Amino acid sequence: MSIFEYNGSALVAMVGKNCFAIASDRRLGVNLQTIATDFQKIYKIHDRLYLGLSGLGTDAQTLYQRLVFRHKLYQLREERDMKPETFASLVSAILYEKRFGPYFCQPVIAGLSDEDKPFICTMDSIGAKELAKDFVVAGTASESLYGACEAMFKPDLEPEELFEVVSQALLSSVDRDCLSGWGGHVYVVTPTEVTERILKGRMD
Amino acid sequence: MKLDTSGLESIAPLFGASNELLDGLSTAPAFDLPSNVDLDGFLKETIQMVKPAKGTTTLAFIFKEGVIVAADSRASMGGYISSQSVKKIIEINPYMLGTMAGGAADCQFWHRNLGIKCRLHELANKRRISVTGASKLLANILYSYRGMGLSVGTMIAGWDETGPGLYYVDNDGGRLKGARFSVGSGSPYAYGVLDDGYRYDMSIEEAAELARRAIYHATFRDGASGGVASVYYVGPSGWKKLSGDDVGELHYHYYPVTAGTVEQEMVEVTGA
Amino acid sequence: MGDSQYSFSLTTFSPSGKLVQIEHALTAVGSGQTSLGIKAANGVVIATEKKLPSILVDETSVQKIQSLTPNIGVVYSGMGPDFRVLVRKSRKQAEQYHRLYKEPIPVTQLVRETAAVMQEFTQSGGVRPFGVSLLVAGFDDNGPQLYQVDPSGSYFSWKASAMGKNVSNAKTFLEKRYTDDMELDDAVHTAILTLKEGFEGQISGKNIEIGIIGTDKKFRVLTPAEIDDYLAEVE
Repeated sequence: MSIFEYNGSALVAMVGKNCFAIASDRRLGVNLQTIATDFQKIYKIHDRLYLGLSGLGTDAQTLYQRLVFRHKLYQLREERDMKPETFASLVSAILYEKRFGPYFCQPVIAGLSDEDKPFICTMDSIGAKELAKDFVVAGTASESLYGACEAMFKPDLEPEELFEVVSQALLSSVDRDCLSGWGGHVYVVTPTEVTERILKGRMD
Repeated sequence: MKLDTSGLESIAPLFGASNELLDGLSTAPAFDLPSNVDLDGFLKETIQMVKPAKGTTTLAFIFKEGVIVAADSRASMGGYISSQSVKKIIEINPYMLGTMAGGAADCQFWHRNLGIKCRLHELANKRRISVTGASKLLANILYSYRGMGLSVGTMIAGWDETGPGLYYVDNDGGRLKGARFSVGSGSPYAYGVLDDGYRYDMSIEEAAELARRAIYHATFRDGASGGVASVYYVGPSGWKKLSGDDVGELHYHYYPVTAGTVEQEMVEVTGA
Repeated sequence: MGDSQYSFSLTTFSPSGKLVQIEHALTAVGSGQTSLGIKAANGVVIATEKKLPSILVDETSVQKIQSLTPNIGVVYSGMGPDFRVLVRKSRKQAEQYHRLYKEPIPVTQLVRETAAVMQEFTQSGGVRPFGVSLLVAGFDDNGPQLYQVDPSGSYFSWKASAMGKNVSNAKTFLEKRYTDDMELDDAVHTAILTLKEGFEGQISGKNIEIGIIGTDKKFRVLTPAEIDDYLAEVE
């Protein structure tokens, strides 16, 4: 089994009208054994920028710490928050540094620009960026997520509708994956507020 | 190269081998072997291809009133869940059940085969086959195919003239008599609950609840187990299905959501 | 030598708390050709004299104003070779920033990095401070900006500034002429007039250099012909 599937994960980010949603499952397993059902996979970089890390849990946490460190340095040096595009480039550069011994993570980046334009992107474990206008997915349930998002996504959804769509896509996808699920975690970010919700899901 | 299929033949060929009525039943099909030099390597690959129901939790135990048999209903291929509604408890005859773990096709085929043999035994001897006998029939067949890639981990549970019976049979040809078994990737978790809660003098209701809870806990911890927790009871008058609960709902039955915890439905997390 | 005890080592303070090598570097700047910069409401202009040792020198081969990135330009007073070292280092820094963030380096960041290099050369062994002061002109998300960086590594943001041989006169002139709502064209005129103040001989498009950046955020060195046009306007 691939090292990317050692802990199990499901991540999705979607764009709405002047807003975005990023959601993950909550399981941490060791292969098929479920260890925890309250594992954090989405991290806040600043008020309008979120980072989801799928793949190997230990690498995700290490990578997150490095990225927070770099972002804090940037904040101190430049006296501003990073733009989502800038942060994505930083993540990509940091991943490529380890080209021949990568972090076993697939990141999902979602943020709002200064002009309230949503930005989402994902990349592979060595930093190849993939930008999207609609949605991005990652993790062991990514195939199912592609299917669900492809079927359920609509452009320019309002925050409440977006929450509904992203949650349904996540929950139905993880029901077809042994290694992810056990509840969900959803953030909906608008220019004025951030809504964070815990989803109740199947616990098998 | 042809395979020795004598294990497939009826143990008591009462009628002549050319009897038309039984032709299809008593003479087993001769299986062609792959014309491959690297038989071991080929088998390994093939096993992976034909073995979808690998992750499973099944259990069975004997108690005062008879036998309880329970299982989950998930079928998975690697990480993918191919079905959430698999019948893993196979009804061999009204007094005997078999459980399914390992290769779905292998289990289904050989249980059906066993059912035929048991019925033939019944017709020949005018009495039902004992659980001991039935499980031995299966074990002997599996032994004859030993090392050829069959994947079967089963329990034969039933009620015969001696009372409740329970055997564990696997593709290595192993056959164990016992009062308590669990088979499959979720079995360690099921054993944990089962061993803790088991008492011989349980009521049927208590026993059924213990089995259901053991299956539920296995589905919670084991990624390859899930779906529906089915519970069967076998008593003096044959088997009966007692329950079939969606473990998705069972979780919130066992652990109701209480306000204030993170498990609460769609909580708005403060300080976001 | 009276002060040689403290001027020998670059990193040794004199009893009065000065690093004399840095003072000497500033002297080198002070005796260099005059440069100046003006921040207008909608852009920045930097300008400098380009006095050549002989009329035989091909004046087109001397470029005292350089661009560091498409939206940042720089001019110096002091030693030409030292300037080129700094330009090379700054351009590399700007490219590294761009490679990391896929975003043009902000003016403040490039100035800070360049100043850090200059500071390092006041504290390292086997090197001497740079014999130049820089005027950095840029336009980014934070609007038009003008910075001066000195050999010590200290840097300041100016509305208008001058350095080199004629610094005090030029600054006095700028103080009189500067207004907050000045447009870029006015700033170019003021820059020419300021240079003209202390200029020995006839000013022309060939013996001064002017660099401008406007709201298009493209730094550009004016051609001698363009300078001549501006000169005609100020006459």
